[in-house]
Amino acid sequence: MSEDGLFSGDAENVIRWVSTGGLALGLASAAVIVTVLARKPPWRLTPPAKWMLLVGFFVLPSMTMLAGNVVGFHKTRQSCTQCHTMDPWVADMKDPGSSTLAAAHYKNRLINEDQCYTCHSGYGLAGNVQAKIGGVSHVLHYYITGVPDEIRIKKPFPSSTCLHCHSEAAGYLKIEQHVDAEMKPKILSGELSCFECHAAPHPKRKRP
Amino acid sequence: MTDPSPDRSAWSLRLLSAACILALAGIAVSVLHFLWPIPLMFALFMSVGQGAFGLAMLLYLGVIFIDLRRSRVL
Repeated sequence: MSEDGLFSGDAENVIRWVSTGGLALGLASAAVIVTVLARKPPWRLTPPAKWMLLVGFFVLPSMTMLAGNVVGFHKTRQSCTQCHTMDPWVADMKDPGSSTLAAAHYKNRLINEDQCYTCHSGYGLAGNVQAKIGGVSHVLHYYITGVPDEIRIKKPFPSSTCLHCHSEAAGYLKIEQHVDAEMKPKILSGELSCFECHAAPHPKRKRP
Repeated sequence: MTDPSPDRSAWSLRLLSAACILALAGIAVSVLHFLWPIPLMFALFMSVGQGAFGLAMLLYLGVIFIDLRRSRVL
């Protein structure tokens, strides 16, 4: 629990409330459905049963599923560092002596929290959905097919993710190549990757 | 008054019971996900839990459709 108490706007507290609410609604929904199932079959098709099922089937579970997604998204953002598979990459990111881009972003606090998720998910709702599908796929791979010896990014890292923060920054605009008439359109379109000139984001290594 | 279409009533009851059991399965997974919010439970919630609940909703809509047909609304 945070120092500000249960009613603070702290993200963990909000998630705790959402989680508790989802749990209560889920149990209430289950109670309604079990009540309907426990009655004699002909009663299940009567108007009171239909109203109960409207609440037990639609209203309560919909909110439970919504709360589940909110909690799941929050936990997913933190889950990258919970898996031992990613230990070498996380260790490099947290290493003050490392010169990789991930380490530079981490030690300079350019991203305050959820560092992996911030760069490896697209921005906006579509990015969240893609990250969710990707996260489920990673967990299923982990338990079903096993982790591959060499971990590679599925698609080339989009320059738009870097440009989302950097493109209008004063420091970025001071670099001649970034505003060069020939190079700028290529950078903005993603034809020219940021990593053509800048250091690798992570060390290239196989899983130990 | 007797039901004019007992076959449809029997189908409605079967579908409704199946929908209830699937919904309970979906809710059970989501409750477990709230209690143990680990990545595996989230994956199960997203695939098994929401899948079972989605199917339960479809069956429930099927029951509503049969009911409306029986009442000659549709």
